[in-house]
Amino acid sequence: MPGTQLLMTFPVTATSHSLADYRARGGYATLMKVLEKMAPQDVTKEVAASGILGHGGAAFAAGRKWAVIKLDDGQPHYLCANADEGEPGTFKDRWILEHNPHMLIEGMLISAYALQVRNAFVYIRGEFDLPYRRLAAAVEEAYAAGLLGEGILGVDFSCDLVVYRGAGSYVCGEASGLLSSLEGKRGYPRNRPPRLTVKGLYQMPTVVNNVETLTNVTAILALGAEAFKKVGTPKSPGTQLCSISGHIARPGVYEIEHGYPLKKFLFEDCGGMPAGAKLKCIIPGGISTKVLTAPEIEPVTYDHASFAKAGSSLGSGGMIVIAEGTCMVRLLQVMLRFYHHESCGQCTPCREGMGWMHRIIDRIVASRGRPEDIEQLYQISRWNDGNTICGMGDAAGYAAIGILDKYRDEFEHWITHGRSRFDGNLEVVGNA
Amino acid sequence: MPEIFINGQSVQAADNQSVLEAARASGYYIPYFCWHPKLSVAGNCRICVVQVEGRSWVEIACNMPVTEGLRVFTDSDLVKAHRKMVMQFLTLNHPVDCGICDKAGECTLQDYHYAYNGAPSISHEPKVRSTKFHDLSARIVLDNERCIVCSRCVRFTHEISKSCALGIKHRGDESLVRASEDGALDRDPYSDNVVDICPVGALLSRQFLHKARVWYLKPTPSVCPGCARGCTVQIWHRKPEWRLKALDPKQNARIDRVTPLENPAVNGPWICNKGRDLAAILERARAEAPMLKGKPVELAAAIDAARRLLGAAKRPVALVSSWGSNEELAAFKSALSARVDAFVKEDSTPAPGERLDDDLLIRADKNPNTTAARALFAQLPNPAVFPADTDLVLVWGEGFDFARIPAGARIIFLNAWLQPENGHADVFFPVSIQTERPGHYTNFQGVVSAFEPCFPKPPGVADAESLFAALGAQGQP
Repeated sequence: MPGTQLLMTFPVTATSHSLADYRARGGYATLMKVLEKMAPQDVTKEVAASGILGHGGAAFAAGRKWAVIKLDDGQPHYLCANADEGEPGTFKDRWILEHNPHMLIEGMLISAYALQVRNAFVYIRGEFDLPYRRLAAAVEEAYAAGLLGEGILGVDFSCDLVVYRGAGSYVCGEASGLLSSLEGKRGYPRNRPPRLTVKGLYQMPTVVNNVETLTNVTAILALGAEAFKKVGTPKSPGTQLCSISGHIARPGVYEIEHGYPLKKFLFEDCGGMPAGAKLKCIIPGGISTKVLTAPEIEPVTYDHASFAKAGSSLGSGGMIVIAEGTCMVRLLQVMLRFYHHESCGQCTPCREGMGWMHRIIDRIVASRGRPEDIEQLYQISRWNDGNTICGMGDAAGYAAIGILDKYRDEFEHWITHGRSRFDGNLEVVGNA
Repeated sequence: MPEIFINGQSVQAADNQSVLEAARASGYYIPYFCWHPKLSVAGNCRICVVQVEGRSWVEIACNMPVTEGLRVFTDSDLVKAHRKMVMQFLTLNHPVDCGICDKAGECTLQDYHYAYNGAPSISHEPKVRSTKFHDLSARIVLDNERCIVCSRCVRFTHEISKSCALGIKHRGDESLVRASEDGALDRDPYSDNVVDICPVGALLSRQFLHKARVWYLKPTPSVCPGCARGCTVQIWHRKPEWRLKALDPKQNARIDRVTPLENPAVNGPWICNKGRDLAAILERARAEAPMLKGKPVELAAAIDAARRLLGAAKRPVALVSSWGSNEELAAFKSALSARVDAFVKEDSTPAPGERLDDDLLIRADKNPNTTAARALFAQLPNPAVFPADTDLVLVWGEGFDFARIPAGARIIFLNAWLQPENGHADVFFPVSIQTERPGHYTNFQGVVSAFEPCFPKPPGVADAESLFAALGAQGQP
């Protein structure tokens, strides 16, 4: 296993997700400790001191997000777990929801206590079936055991948890779009300012955190911030659940301690490439992060700083491994089709730009490309960068620019030859 | 009162203003599609960008709160490049069919194209095709290809008319504005405002569809007589210099459309659909000849007859129109009130199914000038009881049942419309309507609004104001 484990600490069995098993592993002891011995402010301080970065993709410090909430502002606060795990290649939160739902509930209760939240929500993506059933069952168990509702564990603290199923939209994984959807409106992201921690759900201060971040809160409070910081690297404390898929021998969800060498993880823990294929590149954390070529990942360790240094980001931890012989033009086509399909259509650059890029790449693949198409893809990507309401427009642009920068020759090949470089046909060299 | 700097010039902004509002209030123009002064901020069109000094990126002005000492530029190179980019995106799938679009000439997209883009599309792709001539309601057609999904219309129905009649369905470049349920927009009496606030030619009025190019029309300020709110409107009709010679001459004296005339004291930028349909009220068949017991006569002969009747009457009673202008009511008062008992008459009553009143504009009193009339004259008791010895009744305006007039009393009738009662009167005068004369109405709040003539009076028609002066003149006819 790649380093210290904080969440995957137990063997998965038929009952390991149940309350009884979770309690046997020491579950809800941390919550009891927190409710009995700690003031809400101290919990927030502990989380801030741990230095934990959000696990949703943007790696925003959870402590800084929480610090915006003023406990004495007289307004209701809301907490929402973002379980709308829609980033292609990412399926790590699913593992938590399926196998360790009580650790999430415990983490949410601790967070709710720290932020003085009476009503907490889990926004779970509609396509999740087993995860939803497991989580809903866990919430019922928790209610029955007095862990949710009025007077939790006999203490003067009440919190209700609502599990809300999304209807299957990528953009509802964006925090403000998620809240719009949760309010029953169309899942349109909102303009900032105001930030969600100032005006979020029903215009009240709201904290939206990723499932893994909230689950880690349990670990932070169980170990203490000091011990938690010893795991991982100083700048990226803790671990990351990584869902790895693509051309890899043992795909799945792994918990990686930050700072673990990436090549070692790929070739030892995951068993390397299947059938002796050669590594071409990886998409490190969901398709919105820039690809890293095989030479580029040589020095990379699995933490935020190292990925940033290599020119990409750890993102949401959804790694896709791509073997030599894969056509990057087709890969980009698949990605742009996704972004076109999922653009909410609210703001102009993304609504028009995603379809435009998709039509250009479709035309290239249909062997009707023009030399200026590559430049136009760049231009649309740059036009989207920073000009949209939410980050999706930027993300699509990064993804396209990353592939175009590194594999421009494959695009040029398709445009000039009318076919993929990897279609298995021999290259005709020279004037035969 | 934060002080901000726009293009280096100091501007006093109000608290809680956005940069866009502060700039507009001080005469700096920042382009916008989705922003509207009366609607919430959507921030989706992305053209209102400004650059904050020292930043290498642009931000939307409609959602940027003013802060003390903020320095923004509305026309830096980056801002210009960004606007050009937004225009490229907006025209990417827009059909650019201005030649057959009713909005051409008053279209924000068209104006901004010339102001901020000026270049053809850089795209080679076929345009996304979508629905044309989609009937959102019986009154409004939607061209989805022209729509730029600014969501103004959706926000209008949610925030102003509160009918929630519109929404957006589907995603991305397939987004469609649609009625939230069948007939939802038909039930919204303010629905036509979405045509005005549409920044492009997507939402079009069925009435006005392909009727005229707007540059051949001119707006004349007027007041809607539909209810006591007295919304100020613009009546659009053919410019005299663009008079049509070959076709039906009525086209030159016809109400082509009615739009709101923004008036913060009365109606803001909105009017209801009844105001749009002024043609249904004002273009009914007109009475054009004075008559004595149904026989057409010269105006002078009719005046003589009426003066004789008035002089002979022992107990004359008058019913004053609540559609008369302030000037006409004053003329009646000074000319005749010493000799007749005058009462205010309710010319029009709510039609079956018409919305009676609401919180936005519509008032239960369906007459434009009841306030001014009641200030001068008593109200007719209800039910209308005439003094027993009434021997002459002067009826001004429509909507009064002649059967209620005591038997044997003579009738002088002033009416603009061709109606059967006209022939039953002893003396009948055809009078002008508000599109043929200037005047003022006083609305229920006491706000006085002016209307101006759009068309010449038909021959044979008199102004009530001059008639009253003639009827009240001293001396024997």
